[in-house]
Amino acid sequence: MFSFKVNNVSNFALLKHPGHYLVFKIFMWSWLTIIGTVTALIFLSNIAAISVVSNEPLYGPMKKNLIYTAKGIERSVIKHKHTISETLVHPRLAKRKLLYLSTEQQDVAITSKDVPEDIDLSLLNYTKNMAPQMIFTEKYQAFGPVKIQLPDATFYLYEINISKQPPLFIRLKLMPNWLKLCVAIIASLILSFLFSRNLIAPINSLKKAAIKLSAGDLTARAAISIKRKDELGVLGRDFNSMANQLEVLISSQKRLLADISHELRSPLTRLKMATGLAQMQANEASQTYLLRIEKEANQLDKMIADVLQVSRLEAKSQALSLQKQSLQTIVDHVLNDAHFEAKQNNKQLAVTGDSCVTINCDETLIASALENLLRNAIKYANNTINVILKHTDTIVSIQICDDGKGVPNNQLDKLCEPFFRHSNARDRISGGTGLGLAIAKNAITAHDGNLILSNKIKGGLCASITLPIIKE
Amino acid sequence: MKLLMIDDDTGLCELLTEYLAAQGFEVVSVHDGEEGLKLAQQNDYALILLDVMLPTLDGFEVLKQLRQTKLTPVIMLTAKGEDFDRIFGLELGADDYIPKPFNHRELLARVKAISRRIEHISSLKINATNKLHTYGVTINLATREAYINNNTLTLTGTEFEILTLLCKNASQVVSKEQISEQVLGRRLAPFDRSIDMHVSNIRKKIAEYLSAERIKTMRGTGYVFIQGE
Repeated sequence: MFSFKVNNVSNFALLKHPGHYLVFKIFMWSWLTIIGTVTALIFLSNIAAISVVSNEPLYGPMKKNLIYTAKGIERSVIKHKHTISETLVHPRLAKRKLLYLSTEQQDVAITSKDVPEDIDLSLLNYTKNMAPQMIFTEKYQAFGPVKIQLPDATFYLYEINISKQPPLFIRLKLMPNWLKLCVAIIASLILSFLFSRNLIAPINSLKKAAIKLSAGDLTARAAISIKRKDELGVLGRDFNSMANQLEVLISSQKRLLADISHELRSPLTRLKMATGLAQMQANEASQTYLLRIEKEANQLDKMIADVLQVSRLEAKSQALSLQKQSLQTIVDHVLNDAHFEAKQNNKQLAVTGDSCVTINCDETLIASALENLLRNAIKYANNTINVILKHTDTIVSIQICDDGKGVPNNQLDKLCEPFFRHSNARDRISGGTGLGLAIAKNAITAHDGNLILSNKIKGGLCASITLPIIKE
Repeated sequence: MKLLMIDDDTGLCELLTEYLAAQGFEVVSVHDGEEGLKLAQQNDYALILLDVMLPTLDGFEVLKQLRQTKLTPVIMLTAKGEDFDRIFGLELGADDYIPKPFNHRELLARVKAISRRIEHISSLKINATNKLHTYGVTINLATREAYINNNTLTLTGTEFEILTLLCKNASQVVSKEQISEQVLGRRLAPFDRSIDMHVSNIRKKIAEYLSAERIKTMRGTGYVFIQGE
């Protein structure tokens, strides 16, 4: 009956692929963050840098090259007596990029080729007095000016590069610093968030499942994707298989208890019947023993009934026959019996407040919960038992306190476990089956209520029940 | 007086037969549902003790099929705590139930309550014209039949008794305690719903022929048979 598939081989052994290790994952993600940041920068520079007109000093080979071109033009005009226009259309220069010569006069300028209409080179006239620059505008890039001193005129040479985009490196360099900072921060923020969420999500789901499990919900499992191959995925699945095992063990233990109790009933019925027959023929002397047998059989019957009720309540298989009901009717009935029982034990039962509210309940269950708590209080009280009834618009509370010794604080939680007795010597003199509080707790919980046991400061145990009220 | 016991626990059947024999009852016991049903349909027993858990045909099925032809009083033997069994049994037309493991004295008391009723009825048969006319409902106490506008109501023994009690006290509130003591022969246990079940069965049967509600629930006190519109 109890054979469990035990898989002791840890799933960690299955981590073969380096891509499955968390270390690799962390590395991958931080790397991705950097790449992402750079990509975002590039993307943004494509959109943002275009509208910027700016310039940088020209240096290096480009500057030399430009100066060399200027010298060539000078030489061509002065030595070979070409006109400046002839020089510019000379194949050696014309095959090169567009050259632009501006003069001292604002409106006179020469170009080596036709310039598209939408390009406005006159902007460059403002830079004539500067050292050679790289000039970036929306439509073109210009390098210059380099002064060409001819006998009759002075020209300023620019090499024009008509293009849609300045080079990437330049563009990045040109981006304003605040924008660069923002891009880096936002991109890394988003990626780090995704990364940590990916890392934390399974841990959170594990945490939730563990809390539920420890609260007694044996069906709780961590939501971990089967596709997840790293250490956390494996941990999650190991946790789930542990929870499965736990569920099987505990439920079979409970079922066993319920099954045994159920099976015990048939022989018990026969025992009672046989006792009845024997009583009909017995003489005076054996009659006392037969009464004793009957009493013990009844005690056994009560215990079995209690065990079955607890297990039914715990398994939630008891379909509650819920009815709208005045709580006061139930309380009155139970208190009537309790008054009688208290009087027999020479104890006082004091009731304050009322519970004239309507609740949705299974009256037998609520009554048995209250009965069990009251019987307990009567048993352990020294003199008085206080019952305090209170209600608000949404909640009704019933407090049952005795003035006995109370229970050590560390045992309060265990009191509601089946067969738990707080005196270690399981004294039968106190009677009861050790199931009363378990029944009470389960019955109240089944009604979405709460049962809290606490010690009074002056000594004595207090049981506080709260139940939800139906709004009418 | 002849009783039929249908229970698969042979040991219990033997003991019970012996016990009830000592009290003056003759008990026939069978251990499976089908056989029990056949016997119950063929013979007239004073009372049937019917277990729920049975081989071949369970107790509910036996009761359901039996009720199609016979109104023999039936006491269901249910497992304690199985509230559903109890309610379902009463709905199907059981007269009473007793939870297992039962006390032999309690069982005897219930058997006697029902047999007393039967004796009481047979004594009534002498004056055959003992009829009760209450608004729309006619009860023939001699033949133990109830009519509404010449339509016969098929009531179980317990239902008939309860209806009679309510009609006799028409316009007066009859408490559940009274019904339990006079019809079932036992004190009303706290939170016992069996009377409500019987009354709801009677209501359903009356509703087939009468649109107006005859039996009214007095919350917390009992029931009243209404006279007039």
